[in-house]
Amino acid sequence: MAVVRRADPVDLAGLRAAEEPRRTTRGRLRRWLPISIGLALAVTMVVVAAAAPLIAPLSPSAQFSDAVLKGPGAVDRHLLGTDEFGRDLLSRIIWGARVSLEVGLVSVAFAFALGVPLGIVAGVTGGRVEMLIMRGSDMLMAFPTLLLALIIVTALGGSLMNEMLAIGVALTPNFVRLARSLALTIREQDYILAARALGSGQVRVMARHVFPNALYALVVLATLYIATAIRTEASLSFLGLGIPPPTPSWGNILSEGRQYIKCCPWLTTFSGLAVMVAVLAFNLMGDALRDLLDPRLKGE
Amino acid sequence: MFQYALRRLLIAVPMLLGAMTIVFVAMRILPGDPCVAMMGDQATGGALADCTRNLGLDRPLAVQYVDYLWRSVQFDFGKSFRQGYPVSDYIGRMFPHTFVLVMASAVVAALVGIPIGIISALKRRSPLIDYPLRIIALLGLSMPVFWLGILLLIVFSLHFDLFPLIGGGDLDGVIAMIGSGEVLSYPWDFLRAVGDVLHHLVLPAFALGFTLAATVSRLSRSAMLEVISQDYIRTARAKGQRERLVVYKHALRNMMVPLLTIIGIFVAIALTGTVLTETVFTRPGLGKMLVDAIGARDYPLAQGAITVFTMIIIVVNLVVDLLYAVVDPRITFR
Repeated sequence: MAVVRRADPVDLAGLRAAEEPRRTTRGRLRRWLPISIGLALAVTMVVVAAAAPLIAPLSPSAQFSDAVLKGPGAVDRHLLGTDEFGRDLLSRIIWGARVSLEVGLVSVAFAFALGVPLGIVAGVTGGRVEMLIMRGSDMLMAFPTLLLALIIVTALGGSLMNEMLAIGVALTPNFVRLARSLALTIREQDYILAARALGSGQVRVMARHVFPNALYALVVLATLYIATAIRTEASLSFLGLGIPPPTPSWGNILSEGRQYIKCCPWLTTFSGLAVMVAVLAFNLMGDALRDLLDPRLKGE
Repeated sequence: MFQYALRRLLIAVPMLLGAMTIVFVAMRILPGDPCVAMMGDQATGGALADCTRNLGLDRPLAVQYVDYLWRSVQFDFGKSFRQGYPVSDYIGRMFPHTFVLVMASAVVAALVGIPIGIISALKRRSPLIDYPLRIIALLGLSMPVFWLGILLLIVFSLHFDLFPLIGGGDLDGVIAMIGSGEVLSYPWDFLRAVGDVLHHLVLPAFALGFTLAATVSRLSRSAMLEVISQDYIRTARAKGQRERLVVYKHALRNMMVPLLTIIGIFVAIALTGTVLTETVFTRPGLGKMLVDAIGARDYPLAQGAITVFTMIIIVVNLVVDLLYAVVDPRITFR
């Protein structure tokens, strides 16, 4: 017994020593670098999208007949070159950021606003209500996000609004599932029991106690799904089912540029790069936020 | 186990039904009359009425719904508006192309993703190994498959002229040769045809496989991390077993169990990926068929393709869940 008792403090000291490197500069860098890069990229994207009319060198729809399909730098005023109608690629990509970000943020906000209350109600209430909500969510989960968004956008027709709605609905079951599983854990906590003992009703418990405690994890998920939404939007537009031209979106610039990959690969290269950087920004941020705020979610 | 299998099966049935209902509703609220899409704006009122009657679209919606469910279960999705022949025949012809693409990209994803995930987990927090590998995985995850596909086409097809720009090779010919036994009479022709199919497959399989490898590597990294924190690994190390043996004998084998669940996720992502990959590489397949059908407003074809996609995903997930319970007896239905 004495040996065991003596061993305990040694183990704890060992553990402390193992934890120590995390507090070093390298540890801090490892922790904050990804989120800083992600945040910087995302903020840049937001600024570019918001200030598109000020930043874009030319109008995205202005056609220059003297500069059709010119390469990057071939004509002074077109830094990234022009497309088949002589439109400035850089300006179209800058305006395309607006569409991508709008779709990313609005569709995730929609999925959040619809999915989280449903998930929390399912988790806290249980019984038939839970079964009904979860089976409905399972049905939607049977479709991969892009396929479901594709079905909805085909049924409703391609427009910015419909695309947001389609992607939002397609993402909703993910929020329902996470909100429910978090609510299931939270409802067993002592503070919920205390709140109930003080006379809080179901709605108050859900709104004042379950929701705030689930918020961290849900925000992490939302950040990651902004990346998914941006990629899905680009995919739908690439397939010709998203925002119809001439409104510039990264997906439809890529789709149009595909016909000219032999002569003019810059059209697809730069627009695709924009999609990748945007998706990377939100993936980096989501990953880093998850590790920072809620390490339990690593497997989600 | 039997009870688990039965209950899991019972969940799959309403899921499938629900998913098919969604497809049915979506196809019915599509803008535009299918008959107008089929016959053009010039069709007379009488011809349109005949067409509507022939397609059974004049019947009550509930009757159409039950009919659709009953026919779908028998893989009868009606006739294609544009091509005129049965949708199931068309799907049957396209399925091998998509199957080959998914399998080839699965090989690429497994060969690239699993080792990256394992090494990344074993060398965790090593700035020279784990970090670069995780960055590659993150890039793969963020790179849209259609963009990677276009980049590969620009470099390897247009610039170096190493791979074909479009098409999928004569897979139908290969299948016909196997079916008719010509594979034995003309082995060289057969090998040439297989070589051609593989030649067409390299770039699409790499594009789809690389983007899938990112998911596979992340999942296998977390599976490995979970396994190496188990007590039996500590025991193996404590008894003085060499690290290599600990990894090969204990960790790898046990890691494969959680990896099994990847298959379900993988098939769902891969099938979605084929829609984009087949479009980029102009390859025949279910994905391209779906996009073309939607573009041409060929509703039976689109409905058939989506139904088959959904069926495959639900059935694969069911099989994976059942397999999971067989491999790991601790799993019980919750």
